[in-house]
Amino acid sequence: MADFLSAYSIQNWLESCPQGYLDGTVFGHKPGEQEIEILKSNDVLHEDAIRTTVQLVVGERCALAASSGLINSAPDEASKRFLATQTLDEARHVEIFTHRLYDLGIRKDALEATIKEYANPNLVKFAGVLLEKVDKKDFVAGVVGQNIVLEGMAFSVFEMMYAMNEEMNPKFAHTLSGTIADERRHVGFGENRIGSLIKENPDRRPDVERMQKDMSYFMLATFADAFRNSEAVDELERIGQERSHTRFHGADLGALAPEEMEDLLATTVLKEFKTRLGRIGLEYQTPARP
Amino acid sequence: MSDVHDLEPQAFLEEVHSFEFWFQAVEGYLSGTTWGHRPDAIESPMSAEDRDRLITVLCNYCVGEAAALEGASGLIVIAPNRLAKVFLATQVADEGRHLEVFYHRMRDLGVSDPEREVERRASGSLQTFRRRLLELVASKDWEAAIFAQNVILESLEFAVFQDHAREADPVTAEVLRGVVKDERRHIGFGENELGRRVASAPHIRARLGQIKKELDHLVLEALEETNLLLGLPRDEHERLGRIYLESVARLGFAT
Repeated sequence: MADFLSAYSIQNWLESCPQGYLDGTVFGHKPGEQEIEILKSNDVLHEDAIRTTVQLVVGERCALAASSGLINSAPDEASKRFLATQTLDEARHVEIFTHRLYDLGIRKDALEATIKEYANPNLVKFAGVLLEKVDKKDFVAGVVGQNIVLEGMAFSVFEMMYAMNEEMNPKFAHTLSGTIADERRHVGFGENRIGSLIKENPDRRPDVERMQKDMSYFMLATFADAFRNSEAVDELERIGQERSHTRFHGADLGALAPEEMEDLLATTVLKEFKTRLGRIGLEYQTPARP
Repeated sequence: MSDVHDLEPQAFLEEVHSFEFWFQAVEGYLSGTTWGHRPDAIESPMSAEDRDRLITVLCNYCVGEAAALEGASGLIVIAPNRLAKVFLATQVADEGRHLEVFYHRMRDLGVSDPEREVERRASGSLQTFRRRLLELVASKDWEAAIFAQNVILESLEFAVFQDHAREADPVTAEVLRGVVKDERRHIGFGENELGRRVASAPHIRARLGQIKKELDHLVLEALEETNLLLGLPRDEHERLGRIYLESVARLGFAT
């Protein structure tokens, strides 16, 4: 275990993250990059960008509370130190997505009210399930919830958003690419560290699997709300703006209807969950479909 | 921006409590270092006795840093706003780094299992301080916990590390100087956070005075133990104790 954890040292993190892929960035993107004009001038697209970014802030605030809260219940010093880097990564994500809200015109004194107005209730419930485990100092459930379920979801969501924005909105795509690199590291730690703990504590499986099922349900409900209620695709069509035809898991995102995008994302994330949970000795529990 | 101190109060906090500010700050003094020192820093010869004493001192530093890591991480959830949460996240990474570089220094000195060594050698008064700090954090008492963590503990570490860096072997001295730079930032946060609160609610000062009274003897005992290990003469013990008390007093918490 010591050898595996040495790959997650703060020294490695300093060299790969602040001195690596974040070097030369400002709030996660290249200096001088701006949000695209259409997101500021079109009311529907503007509100859609704000709503989407608020979900990112809510998710990252949950990740910040969870990773910092898990430090005190970590069973060894090396895990505490890895979680220290993850805490800072999550705080950075909170900061860069909050800055995107400012870039989209949200005033600083209206930030909390905006988050309250647009936060998806199902995403808040998703966070609640995880933070309850963290509050109880349940390290095994907390790491599975945080580093497998939450980070696994974030990883696929960010990758899909990156594909959608790569050509249309390079500033946002660059912001996402740094977070994707971070999430990959977090998921890797979760898989490696928690596998041995699950083996040592097989009695914990049912409870952790139930948590995965509950969190997965609220995640799917969040996706359903986000895609089914979004007017962005219709608006782009109305104003004659071509969507970006980038590919995500074999599909042309510019040709999919919102409900098809929802299905693609949900299938991708759940498949990832199944694979990753299997690697750590947990049986994936199929959630109800909202 | 020429000087952050020229900014309006809210803009100042947005700036200095951000990841970006931390990133620029540490980039300046950690770039090119490995485990807290330049890779080509030269080890000076050390007697077995001095090496053993240094290991015990580093074990005590690890207790302080572990307390700071657990304290700062526990404070994030009760921090009153986003900027304080982000600042504390940078502090969590700093404290984790300090723990890591001290462990690494112990490995350089021949300790194969630093965690076990810390358990074996750590000072009792520091461990009591750690327990008390975590109780304050667990009780979700923001002012008391920030005071114990970012004023008392950080001032103690600042005084000890700065002094030790002057006399230490070249590698340990470089490691300590990097840590001291971080501590300065942490003390600044504590001063700013509590200064504003004490100014608007003077009864907080009396409560913090009680906590200081309770923790001071643990801090001074820990200082005494470290001074003996470092082989400092008696008048140096008193001088270091004064430095700690004065640095806390400079922050407005003399009583």
